[in-house]
This record gives sequence, structure tokens and C-alpha cells, in this order.
Amino acid sequence: MFGYLQVQKSELLVREWEAYQSVYCGLCRQMGRDYSFLARLSLSYDCTFYAMLLMSLRRSCEGFDNGRCTFNPLKKCRFARCADSAYSKAAAFSVISAFYKLQDDLSDSGFFKRLLVRLVKPFFSRWHKKAARNYPELETLAAQMMQAQRQTEQDSACGIDAAAHPTGDMLGSVLRLEAQDDMQKRVFYEFGYQIGRWIYLMDAADDLDDDKKRGGFNPFAHYTGDDLRAYQTATLNQSLARAADAYQLITIIDFKGILDNMLRFGFPAKQNSVVFGKQEEEHDESI
Amino acid sequence: MTNPYEVLGVSPDASDEEIKKAYRELAKKYHPDNYANSPLADVAEQKMKEVNEAYDEINRMRQKGKGTGSTAGNTGGYSSNGSTSQFYSVRIYIQRNMIQEAEQILDSTPEGSRTAEWHYLKGMCAFRKGWSDQANMYFNTACNMDPNNTEYRAALNNMNGQRTYNYGGYNTSQRGNVGSTGCTCCDICAAYMCADCLCSCCRTGC
Repeated sequence: MFGYLQVQKSELLVREWEAYQSVYCGLCRQMGRDYSFLARLSLSYDCTFYAMLLMSLRRSCEGFDNGRCTFNPLKKCRFARCADSAYSKAAAFSVISAFYKLQDDLSDSGFFKRLLVRLVKPFFSRWHKKAARNYPELETLAAQMMQAQRQTEQDSACGIDAAAHPTGDMLGSVLRLEAQDDMQKRVFYEFGYQIGRWIYLMDAADDLDDDKKRGGFNPFAHYTGDDLRAYQTATLNQSLARAADAYQLITIIDFKGILDNMLRFGFPAKQNSVVFGKQEEEHDESI
Repeated sequence: MTNPYEVLGVSPDASDEEIKKAYRELAKKYHPDNYANSPLADVAEQKMKEVNEAYDEINRMRQKGKGTGSTAGNTGGYSSNGSTSQFYSVRIYIQRNMIQEAEQILDSTPEGSRTAEWHYLKGMCAFRKGWSDQANMYFNTACNMDPNNTEYRAALNNMNGQRTYNYGGYNTSQRGNVGSTGCTCCDICAAYMCADCLCSCCRTGC
């Protein structure tokens, strides 16, 4: 995953910000316990969002512990306690998606990056096996997604909807696992689908320049209109709007302020920085 | 039935004003207009019903006479003028969320008879699947082929509303207004309000 699912810190209450950090630290600690010290490096904001959503839906946060950060023992931090498997599941998801991301990088990146990937991949393979054993349903969905993605990318002009479909479908199906009844299944799927679609398109918008240089697949490469950024913004906005519509239909009690913040401020802010950030750099250069 | 106070998210000793406010906010949130073409329209309708019932229940309990009882009407998202259309079965399939079946019929329609309605329904299928970009394209084509059709126009307006969603009208970023897009927060609000007006026009028109 890619780390686009962030909070807008300036709009959070201090206690919400602390709770957010403590979920991040709690998940990090869990990755150390379940996999290894190094596996923690694959932790992303996206998986923190997933963990937080799981904990909120299951109401599994029991309180907070004080402790110290493993990477920096001088730093005190708090850990959110979790009564069930929400952390383990998110940790497994993080490892599984990191593994597939590495595999993907092997096929389409430069020489030095490939070398680096070759070095770390054996570790990830081992953790990946363990995660797949513990959560086979996550593994199946991720593997299906990779296959569908490869097939879709055969046709370089398949359009952005088709290109984003595997990721959307995967995240939708992952969240659908949490649903209690048919109605929830549809709501969770739609929410996950739109968030997944958004993540995929954000990544595509982010990588467009690189992909153009190296001739890699990118769904935005075929855009022929005259305002690419407006087009990207419109289609990304729409995914967020639809995700927000679905989100409103989910009963959120714990961490509501934080999750609301992400949907309303965090994601749009990240989107603007990805879509318009590069433009500003270009703008600066031209001055 | 669950506790009506919980449904509205207020404490049992909240004042009548607070309850009214909570009710209004929820009613706005689940309003059928927000879910015009959404695959989740029926879920929102269900939520709306629960909120209405809870509000009525509280009013009854507090012996303040009858509540507003404004249970949402039909929000199927489709106007009944479809009954005479050549794509009647497609509309039924879409209504039941059977998108594959609907698309099968549409795709087997020969090129020559792909009318504005065909494009509209194709867009509706794409939208239900989450393929917003294609949906946008089809709705645009439908509107261009038949500019006076209020149904197609409403669908396109709904799309445009979503495509300008950013910050919910609130802007903290200095980047909101750079470069060629030049779309300020106000523009977005204004555009959205226009779209909204048009939408409500259509609704009464249908």
C-alpha cells in the first residue's frame, strides 16, 4: 500500500491525535510480535487506517498503555490496547500487500531498485507465508488482485475505470469480510471499492511522470484533453464523494472524530498535494 | 426496536431542541437526494426510515403530539416514465442491482439503435459498478443526444456534484487555487448549489 490514507493533523483534537498515534504504535508493536523487528518497516498509514476502522467497527479498543518506542528507546509512546485480532489482521494485510508490492516492483523498476528489492525479498517471503497461513482469505484476495491487475495492464489503453477495478474490488472484498448482514456487505464493499479506486488512481497520478519516462503502464498516460489536473481532480473527487456517501451509512462510534477527519480533510488534502504539488514545483522552477 | 435516543445519537435527557437538531442533521445526511443514483440508495432510505421512526417514537413518548412523520417517499431513483421505454427490462435489472444482466441486453443492442436512453442506461450500469469515469462519459453523451431530457440531465448534474467534492466546501490548503484549474472554494460551492437547484427542478418536473 502507499500511505495516502492520512489524517489532517491541524483539524484533529489533541486527544484524537494522540489516539491516532497510539493505534499506529500499537500496530507497529504487533508487527514486531507477529513477524519481525524489520517487518515494522513495511507499516504504512493505509494499514493504520484499516486497523483503526476494524477496531472502530468491532469496538475492540480497550484503553491505552504507556511504553517506549523500539526504534527510539528515548521516545515515550502510548499503545492502544486491542481486545481482538484487529491488529493481527491489519499486520497480516500490511505484510501481504508489501510482499506483492515488492513483486510488482521487481517487474517494473530501475536497476538499483531491483537490486534492493532482491535483497529484502527473502525476508518478506517468509513473513508473507506466515501471514497467508493466518489469514488465507486476505491472501486469496490479494493474489486475485495481482492477477487481475496484470491481465488488465495487458491492454495499455484499457481506461482508468478498468485499471482501477482490481484494487477497488480487492479493498471492497477485504472490508466486506467484516460485515454482519447483506446490507452491511454492500455498504462496506462500496466504501472499500471507492477508497481502493482512489488509492490506485492517486498512485497513478503520482507516478505519471516516471511511468512516461520509462514507458510503464499508467492509466492517465492516454489522456488527450487539455487539463490533466482538472481531470484527475474530478475523477478522484468523485471516488471520495462516493466513499463518503457509503461511510455515512456505517455506524461508527469509536474513533469517529479521527475517521471523519480523514474522509473530510485528510484524504482531500493528500489528493491536492499529489495532484497540484508537482505543478507547484514546476512553477517554482520556471520562476 | 432499538432505543430511539441511540438512533438519533442523543442522550435520553436531551432537550426537545437538541433532539430536533439531531434529527434534522441526520435527515439531511440520509436525504434521498444525496443518494440519487447510488447503489446504496435503498440503504440510505432504510436509515432515513429508522431515523423518522425514532423521532416519532421520542415525540410520542414525550407526549408532544405527533411528530413530523415525514417518512421518505419513493426514492427508487427512477422516474416512472421508463415503463414505455424499449429498455424497460434493463431498467428493472438495474433497479434490482442485476448489472450484468442489464449490460448483456445493452451490449447486444445493434449500433444503429443506441439511443440517448441507451447511453444513459449504460452510464447507470457503469456507475453502479463504481466505474465513475465511464459513467460520466455515457451521461454526457446521453445529454448531448437529448438535451431536453430531465432524467439524463439530473444524472449528469449528480455526477458533477460528486466531481467537485473537495473538503466539503472548506479549504485549508494554499494549493487550492493554483495554476490552470483556478477553481476556488466559492466556485465549487456555487457550482454545487446550481447543480442542486437543477436537481430539485428536475425532481418536481418528473
